[in-house]
Amino acid sequence: MSTRWYPIYQKGNPQLRVFLPNFWLKLVKPELKHKPNVVEFHCSMEMTKEDVKNYIEKIYKVPVVKVNTRIALGKCERSELGYVVKRDDVKHAYVTLPRYEKFEYPKLFDNENRLKEKEKDDKSYKEATSEHKNEMDKLNKTTPGYSPWFTI
Amino acid sequence: MQCCKAKARLAIRLTPSVRFVGVDVQFKNVPSSYKYTGYYKKARLIDPESEPSFIPLKCYNPPQIDENGCLTLPVMEYTREARKRRARELWHEKVRKLDTVEEKIFELSMPRYYGWKTYQLGEELVMYDALPKTQYMTQTHIASEPGLPSHYDQILDAETIDATVRDIKDQVEESLVFEYNYRKQDYQFSLKELEDKTLQENIRTKAISEQINRILMSSLSMKYPHLMESQIDIDPRIEAFWFFGGFEVPPLIKKARKSKENSKEWADEPVNQQLQYKGKPILQVRHQLPLREIMSMEATKDTSWEIPVEDLDPRTVGYKKLYEHASIIPGFWPGDPNEFGLVSYHNMGYLHKRHETYEDREDAIKSQAILANFAWLYGQACYQGFSTFHNPTYPLVNQAVITNGQEWNFSVYQLNTTTMHIDAINENETRNMCWVTEPIKLFECIEDDKVKGFNDEVLKNLIKFYANVPQVREGVDMKPHLVKEKLVANIEDPERRKWLDERYKHLLSNRPRHRLVPEIYDWQRIYMIDNKTRPLDKRRDWWQFKKHVFRRRLDDHTPPYIPKKQREDPKSRKKWAKMYYPYVHPKEMVDPHNIKEIERPVQGEPEIVPPWPKHN
Repeated sequence: MSTRWYPIYQKGNPQLRVFLPNFWLKLVKPELKHKPNVVEFHCSMEMTKEDVKNYIEKIYKVPVVKVNTRIALGKCERSELGYVVKRDDVKHAYVTLPRYEKFEYPKLFDNENRLKEKEKDDKSYKEATSEHKNEMDKLNKTTPGYSPWFTI
Repeated sequence: MQCCKAKARLAIRLTPSVRFVGVDVQFKNVPSSYKYTGYYKKARLIDPESEPSFIPLKCYNPPQIDENGCLTLPVMEYTREARKRRARELWHEKVRKLDTVEEKIFELSMPRYYGWKTYQLGEELVMYDALPKTQYMTQTHIASEPGLPSHYDQILDAETIDATVRDIKDQVEESLVFEYNYRKQDYQFSLKELEDKTLQENIRTKAISEQINRILMSSLSMKYPHLMESQIDIDPRIEAFWFFGGFEVPPLIKKARKSKENSKEWADEPVNQQLQYKGKPILQVRHQLPLREIMSMEATKDTSWEIPVEDLDPRTVGYKKLYEHASIIPGFWPGDPNEFGLVSYHNMGYLHKRHETYEDREDAIKSQAILANFAWLYGQACYQGFSTFHNPTYPLVNQAVITNGQEWNFSVYQLNTTTMHIDAINENETRNMCWVTEPIKLFECIEDDKVKGFNDEVLKNLIKFYANVPQVREGVDMKPHLVKEKLVANIEDPERRKWLDERYKHLLSNRPRHRLVPEIYDWQRIYMIDNKTRPLDKRRDWWQFKKHVFRRRLDDHTPPYIPKKQREDPKSRKKWAKMYYPYVHPKEMVDPHNIKEIERPVQGEPEIVPPWPKHN
């Protein structure tokens, strides 16, 4: 149940009241390999399996077969002051769609273009450094192994 | 800004509230029939023409003599893969050499003191869309067309079947009316139990199938004497344990391997995992002789019969892991003369407990049939001396009935292979075969103490099952891996016999150990392992020393102490009692099955030419 209450029945009109629960779902790239009809979410700690199912079915109109949830323990780390501090727990929801459905996690970043750009940058950097190096080598011809500071 | 906020508030007010209860969502594009679209195991997964990335089946090279009479001693491959494989084969060989059924099963749990970490499979534990996975875990092919194999049409003529149906029909109808309308259960159960659909259906089904079994046995046993000789178990305990190497490497093992420089290379090397099945049929009928095989074992190597490949970790589907010893029981202890199955009856009340959204009822029944049949036949095969490491040399057949009293599912299963460990999963081409009928209704309804819409088809199938006469397998050695003693009961040494019998039964009971299983406490993990805040503490716990507790062997403990009073003279000797864990003498192990004795040429002794030049 969300921390905000479901609308309680009250006498009189209007019966149609606004209810805004503080529920959220975050689509996550699964850490482990799953069947193609399984989608992994992080969700708010208050959500139950039924809540997750309703959320997906009613809002996004996607059929759901079953939902499994688990709470992953937050890790303990050393803080800057040296204390042991615990990170927050996370609730995972594994939503199984009907077996004829398939879901692929979308490509959020254009990695191929990124790589190409990176190669370009590396190349230009190499060229720049190699020019500099060649000049230094020329200066160092007479005194190999010494810093050019010593050269006249 | 204020205007914006007001607008937003208005928008919220105007949006209709979403009511979650009682609204039906209609989904489009739902296909009417579903077919598995994943991978299939058609042929060998490894292409035979590519360079061999795996080690050939046997790593022992036999010694040979060439044309000149030169003796070449075996060259052992010394790569990691080959060494590991040789060690595994040596263990398999040990299991084969052990001479009693009990010791063979005992040996499977020897490597782990606290038990293997097994995946728990159950008869009533069918996950969503479980059929492809169960097929893969048991290497079973399901016949594409529903129905019994054509072999069943030749068992009886149509006329005799009709005649027997006519004889039985009244009795069956009477028992159905009695079970549905006249048996009062109210006084036995609480209100909660009476409302439990699964429980009530299972109880009624049990009563009905016992009645039908009784009617068939009594009416057919005059014609078919094998039914008189057979034995009935009610609520038997069926358990099966086997090694499976077809899953992908578990993530934690992979992580551990990648964390060290040495083991990074073999991070993806396949791992043997353990599967443990537990089932409880309603009743089963056993006989001294096995049923006739439906097809030869060689014929099942046909690559066009597909087995889906579902190599994902079973935990992603919902199966769980538990520490348990290997237990293999086909419903009776070794030594029972009736050691082959004829028919088994199974409940299907658990289907009420599954979600309504699953919509895979037929597949669930099929996967239940596969696992139930496989587990029972596998247990029978183990009592014949075969194991997860050694294929049966002849096929075993079982007939199963899954029912809820009204709906009847018939299945026939032929067990051809039991080896599925990492060395065999890709090389073993034989597959198990399963035939399943479509669900048939025995009757439409029961009104005014009369059965309406009675369907003879169910009784016909049942009669065919009971009339299938078990036969002697001629020219077949039934127990090729059991030579001398065969059973613990035949061991001559009384101490060893008693020790093995007690220990074997205690092991299979899977009782927890007297002392608690070692664990790492949470405070230790937080303050000592993840964050080293207590460097000065004395090291006391098991995880602070390098010994791996969960790799401890079953026999890694001090033997029972004999008090001085009970010792024989001289009293200073024999402080510890003897233990008789499964043991094969090393002399027998040195000669693996494929090294044959060297045959030397008969005519005169050949001169062995040394590889170095002769000096005068």
